[in-house]
Amino acid sequence: MNSPDERATVRPRRPLFYKYFVALFVAVVVPLLADGLSEAWFGYRDQRAFLTQRLHAEARSAAGKIEGFLDDITDQLQWTVQLPWREGMDERHRFDVLRLMRQVPAVLDVVLVDGNGVERLHVSRVDPDVVNSGIDRNNDPAVVGARSDRTWYGPVTLYEGSEPHMTVAVAGAREANGITIAVINLKLIRDVILAIHVGQSGDAFVLGRSGRLVAHPDISLVLRGDDDPAAARLRELWQAAIVAGGETAEGADGNNRPVIAAMAAIPGPEWTAFVEEPAAEAFMPLRAALWRTGYLALGGALFAAALAYLLARRMTGPIALLEKGAEEIGAGHFDHKIKISTGDELEGLAQRFNEMAGELAVSQERSERIARLRRFLAPQVAELVEGSDQQSLLDSHRAEVVVIFCDLRGFTGFAGAAAPEEVMGLLQEYYEALGVIITRYEATLTCFMGDGLMLLLNAPVPCPKPALRGVRLAVEMQASVQSLTRKWRARGHAVGFGVGLAKDPATVGRIGYEGRHDYTAIGNVVNLASRICAAAADGQILIDAAVAREIGDAFALAPLGTRPLRGFAEAVPVFSVKLPERDVAALSAAE
Amino acid sequence: MMILRRIVLAAAGVALMHMGALAQPEKINRVGLVSVGASGVLILGPGVARDFAQRGYVEGQNIVFERWAAHGKVGSLPGFIEELVASHVDVIITQSYPAALAAKEHAGNTPIVVTFSGDPVATGLVTSLAHPGGNITGVSEIAAELSAKRLAILKEAVPSVHNVAVLWNADDFGMTLRYQAAEAEAKRSGMLITPLGVRAPDDFDTAFSEMKKTPPDAIMMVTDVLTVLNRERVIDFAEEHRLPAIFEYAYLVRDGGLMSYGPDVDAIFDRAVGLADRILKGTKPAELPLELPTRFELAINLKTAKALGLTIPESILVRADDLIE
Repeated sequence: MNSPDERATVRPRRPLFYKYFVALFVAVVVPLLADGLSEAWFGYRDQRAFLTQRLHAEARSAAGKIEGFLDDITDQLQWTVQLPWREGMDERHRFDVLRLMRQVPAVLDVVLVDGNGVERLHVSRVDPDVVNSGIDRNNDPAVVGARSDRTWYGPVTLYEGSEPHMTVAVAGAREANGITIAVINLKLIRDVILAIHVGQSGDAFVLGRSGRLVAHPDISLVLRGDDDPAAARLRELWQAAIVAGGETAEGADGNNRPVIAAMAAIPGPEWTAFVEEPAAEAFMPLRAALWRTGYLALGGALFAAALAYLLARRMTGPIALLEKGAEEIGAGHFDHKIKISTGDELEGLAQRFNEMAGELAVSQERSERIARLRRFLAPQVAELVEGSDQQSLLDSHRAEVVVIFCDLRGFTGFAGAAAPEEVMGLLQEYYEALGVIITRYEATLTCFMGDGLMLLLNAPVPCPKPALRGVRLAVEMQASVQSLTRKWRARGHAVGFGVGLAKDPATVGRIGYEGRHDYTAIGNVVNLASRICAAAADGQILIDAAVAREIGDAFALAPLGTRPLRGFAEAVPVFSVKLPERDVAALSAAE
Repeated sequence: MMILRRIVLAAAGVALMHMGALAQPEKINRVGLVSVGASGVLILGPGVARDFAQRGYVEGQNIVFERWAAHGKVGSLPGFIEELVASHVDVIITQSYPAALAAKEHAGNTPIVVTFSGDPVATGLVTSLAHPGGNITGVSEIAAELSAKRLAILKEAVPSVHNVAVLWNADDFGMTLRYQAAEAEAKRSGMLITPLGVRAPDDFDTAFSEMKKTPPDAIMMVTDVLTVLNRERVIDFAEEHRLPAIFEYAYLVRDGGLMSYGPDVDAIFDRAVGLADRILKGTKPAELPLELPTRFELAINLKTAKALGLTIPESILVRADDLIE
């Protein structure tokens, strides 16, 4: 059996706790993570779709506002083409223009052209008014455009390479009403653009037909002209938006900030309105959602770890108790009780352990008892006595017993002269030879006394014809020991063997004290058998009359007459058992 | 564990940033204001501080103004500029061409925002409006052309006007350009111009006696520091001699002048302050294009008109932005 210390060194390679922990942890975390990841992915898609939708809506709204700005101007311009150019109407037309310019600060310059395409009036905020210059404007693209489309928007031009201007022309409902050509200062869109806010810090800007920056919250970018890097970046964003199609475009804004942009067309002037939102800000909800998922997953993992730990502890705790219990029981502490009340199979197992310990205790007690019985009973008899309920057999009682004594002749002299090893070696051979026979005959051994021993038959277990059995036993012993004595004599040890048997009722039972019990018979018959044995010569088996009577003619007997025996008042009749032929033959053959 | 550590660090960072923002003393912006004219008006008046206040600057708290008025003494301007550079102003805002020129020559790398400096491209202050380069930006003027427009408006308001006396600082190149534009327009429209160039306050007496000798039908005053400093004399003279007069800016009409046509002065200062704000926030002046005025205003003092016995025609009244009753 291993000592507890040795056991501690043989720790399991992968402890159960670890396995349970991992299994439980994985069981909780995997679905959690799968859920988190799918949520993050679908959340991302939804957010992205929402962002696209939102920015496009913002772009359309911005385009609408810019369009509104231009529509306001063209609506005001329409007032100047409500009346035809008839005689005496010049002053009316002039007042219309003056009122228009008073009303619309963005209009820098107005030219009125009559139904024949002739310039009739030119009013400017900077230059003196010119009346009836008579210039033919029929080939002016503004006049041509307004005639075909009612409203015409010219390209965006940069005054002195800086300030963006655009020419707008509107035609009256009737040709006679003529056409109004106005130069618009596009810097004034700034108020509209500044009012557009996209998200927290996003804004809007407008590009003209060729990608020229028309309006931007940072007026400096507009005024810097076409060759500016910022304007070039915005044109790149335009290209990216075209490539992106219905999606949002990613790029850099005028200040080189990464942005997400969407565009919407402004149909009249063929401009494009853009809304842009810093990428960091646009993706903020997305990132927030990802972080949230991350936090949840982390929290879930921690929770799963705690849960797995607790569950694994619950599983392995009882197992550790069982292990400890098994150790205790193994060490012989059968009264150790494993206390597990989990209400499951483990509790059942602990129950079984406890029962097993009880059974082991019973079994050990029994084997100890058998061992004790085997001190004087043949093993099979001991088993029988222990196994049966005939424990009472061992109780003291009177029984007719056959007592057999035997000892070696000349042993005392030999023992005195020989070396101890030789003495003990001889005794060893002697008892081994006898032991086999005693066991076979199920005789009860009461005691050893040096070279002699005393056997009982018919007690504690009764047997039929104990005397006959005793004689047979004696014969075999004699034959067996005689083959030994021949060997001993060859070695120079003059040792013989004699047996004596007697039969008579005697008191039988256990004597001794706690842990050292013997079984013995008390009575005359014991003395008788002892005396008869003492009387037997080497090679002789002497029996008393009771034995002789019982064996009848199973063996040839030689009556030796009566013999005076010490302790007996009268001389006792003694018989000698003649050894059967075959035994004699066997003896001579061995010789 | 790594994630946890990053979260903790990020939180600590945010907390520190907030604490830093609280702990960091606010930067004090120093703005130099230089005018060749009088103190307490225009760029040295309260309007500029108001424009800054609208952009979140509080005088004495996060902005300090250093105001210098030359009272017409152009020669003192370089000294002012050097004083401003010595006191490490973050930006200099100038009014008038001489102040802009002095700043360009003496301010070193200090950013300059110019106002009322005529056409800065024509006068060579900057290379172009879109890309001024250097350290100058500001608000340009469509000043010269407007002289012609003014003459036309004067003629329309008082059709009887034929002979117009033009008062201008003959020492100032920008002002001379304006006079010349008026002369050209007069020639085109068949009017007469009496040129009354002045160079010093005393010259006004000469000009007045000239006008007494050959009375004009109207007066046109080209606005610069010299004429503005003597504006009351001109307005009084016009009133005394029942002469209609046209000026460049509405404030002169509020002072009693009959009419004016020119860029909105408040809007010009507002844009100049807008540019100075960008500079204070770190934008280089070279990246800030010069801006042109977008709003022009026609101001008429009806009281003066009444005193002169004039009836201003509807075609003028309809376009007036400012009618002073």
